[in-house]
Amino acid sequence: MSHRILVVDDDDALREMVGLVLSQSGYSPVFAADGVSAVETFREQNPDLVLLDIMLPGQSGIEVCRSIRAFSGVPIVMLTAKGDTDDVVAGLEAGADDYVVKPHNGAELVARIRARLRPIADDPSVVQVGPLTLDPKTFEVKRGSAVLSLTPLEFKLLHTLASKPQQVFSREMLLEQVWGYQYKADTRLVNVHVQRLRSKVEEDPENPKIVMTVRGHGYRAGSDSQ
Amino acid sequence: MISLFRKSLTARAVLTTILLGGLSVLIIGGFLSYSLANSFYQNRLSQALTETERAVDSVQTTIAASSLNDETSLQTLLNSVVPSLEISGGSTPRQVALLRSPGQPQLQLFQSPISQDLDLAAIPDELRQEVRASAGRLTYTPVALGGLEESIPGITVGTPIAIPIAGDFELYLVYSLAAEKQALELVQNALAIGGIFLLALIAAASYLVTRRLVAPVERAAQAAQQISEGKLDERLPEQGEDVLATLAGSFNKMATSLQTQIERLDSLSRMQRRFVSDVSHELRTPLTTIKLAGEVIFSNRAQLDPSLTRSAELLQDQIERFDRLLSDLLEISRYDAGAVIPEFESHDIRAVAQAAIKSIEPLSKSKETTVELLCPEENIRAEIDMRRIERLLRNLLSNAIEHGEGRPVVVEIGQNAQAVAICVTDRGVGMSRQQLERVFDRFWRADPSRQRSVGGTGLGLAISKEDASLHRGWLQVWSKPKVGTSFRLTLPKSKDSVIANSPLPMPPRILEA
Repeated sequence: MSHRILVVDDDDALREMVGLVLSQSGYSPVFAADGVSAVETFREQNPDLVLLDIMLPGQSGIEVCRSIRAFSGVPIVMLTAKGDTDDVVAGLEAGADDYVVKPHNGAELVARIRARLRPIADDPSVVQVGPLTLDPKTFEVKRGSAVLSLTPLEFKLLHTLASKPQQVFSREMLLEQVWGYQYKADTRLVNVHVQRLRSKVEEDPENPKIVMTVRGHGYRAGSDSQ
Repeated sequence: MISLFRKSLTARAVLTTILLGGLSVLIIGGFLSYSLANSFYQNRLSQALTETERAVDSVQTTIAASSLNDETSLQTLLNSVVPSLEISGGSTPRQVALLRSPGQPQLQLFQSPISQDLDLAAIPDELRQEVRASAGRLTYTPVALGGLEESIPGITVGTPIAIPIAGDFELYLVYSLAAEKQALELVQNALAIGGIFLLALIAAASYLVTRRLVAPVERAAQAAQQISEGKLDERLPEQGEDVLATLAGSFNKMATSLQTQIERLDSLSRMQRRFVSDVSHELRTPLTTIKLAGEVIFSNRAQLDPSLTRSAELLQDQIERFDRLLSDLLEISRYDAGAVIPEFESHDIRAVAQAAIKSIEPLSKSKETTVELLCPEENIRAEIDMRRIERLLRNLLSNAIEHGEGRPVVVEIGQNAQAVAICVTDRGVGMSRQQLERVFDRFWRADPSRQRSVGGTGLGLAISKEDASLHRGWLQVWSKPKVGTSFRLTLPKSKDSVIANSPLPMPPRILEA
């Protein structure tokens, strides 16, 4: 079964071309040309991943991102024509998992998609971090009996930290292990997602107990001994 | 005081007015007091002369009326003449002396009758000689009377008098000008006090007038200052129809036309920058499509007709070049628009340099050039925007490898208390002085005919220069034809500090040897 990918872009030629590249790599693309139809198509087609252009007529990519995130954790990769700071951060804060800057090449695009569709954890055993229980088989995070809703990426980030509670992960290590970047990438990906993760799992996000910052080095999972 | 004088137009104007006013008061006062003194003196003199004439007449009448037989009666007569002369006539007391002319037979018993308190110094010898020489006339001279401490001006009038039996005598009357002196002093005092008042008045008036004139000029100067600082809305109030109002009017007109000009140029250059940025953005979407399509064709070139394979390769190369050019254009237009927001973080410069060297490996291998890294065995940390600095180093490295003629490229790292420096040096063709001057210019190439394997955009060094100044750092170049070229990047360790000198020498040690 091939993964279904929703391509949202207002440029017809580019949309078609991205579709060709995706088909060649074995994915089945579906398309939307603007923000409103993107959300509709998403509900109809139930894709495994969304490739989302930020600059869209009508509803912007950032709004689309927010509306999809309201009911789904499906990976969203932004396509941004601007490499500019504000756009990228706004998209990530709206819930996008990763971004690709235009003009990108096909290999880069497919690598990003592949990384996002990779299985979340190789080891299916349940992991405990503080008051939370992570089950990689169901992607469920529970505090006691309450289920917290995390996106797959947030789950993977938390799982990566929680599997090795003694280890401090640098941002570069997290980019490699969670996002699948082989070379240096934008460390803001990590910063923004750690903030989002904390807002979901911490009781007091200002004073984190589960995802701890290690100043000058990176992050580690909070352990009971601390 | 001097600085106030230099700075304040008002102080200068008031002081000058006081000096000039003081000088004129002095001249007028001096002239007044001189002419007053003169007229007092002339009055007193003519009075003295009249009185003396009368006195002489009365003495001669007295002598003529009396019958003189011997010295004793003469003496008695003369003795009575002097006191009578002292009191008779005239407003103020005068002093009298009847002196016998020298050069006559000595008279026994005779004494020259003189007023009691008369100092004979009031009758100088020169006067006496003159009196003797001018019979029948009155002769006078001004003299100083009184003691040593306070001298009172006076007039001594004398005339020769012939007395029977006794012979030639000289009659002197000494008039004091004490009253005139007193009056003159009174007037002088009044003049002095009046002068001081006048000066104060002049100072106040000149201050007020100068303020009135200078204040608008000062306002204009302030407004001009404000405008030069960029506050183009600054204007002067226009009141009345005098020259100051004209000044304000012209100033405002100038400011308005300046403002329109500047705003026009500003919007023009903003439009131009916007255009470059918009064009670059608009190009991105079609370029992405072209890039993806080119890749599909390129990766399937084995299936193509052999005559098309080369075209596919050329297409692929040129798309990549176009891509680099576009991203450089976007970056430089971001700098031009002032829209670059750096992300400073503390990094070990050695790691950044190593990463740059590693990322340039494909090029260094293809050019068979080794890259040596010389750095101290210590942490060299600085607050930098790592991606920009790594890009900058990659850029310097690719230039060095490109022009290095296959000889090893050396990267040297150094630090001091406030700065870190990275020198990228090649031992290649080098550049001439004229070439050096243009090396940071946009789209400039040292040697257009030179074959390039990297296909640089021509914007690399211009962007690098902007990257360096974004960090408040320096990017400097040293080059000598046939010796080599060295680029030295110096960055402050803390993003808020300023660098004074670079830890590494320029030209680098390895090229000096």
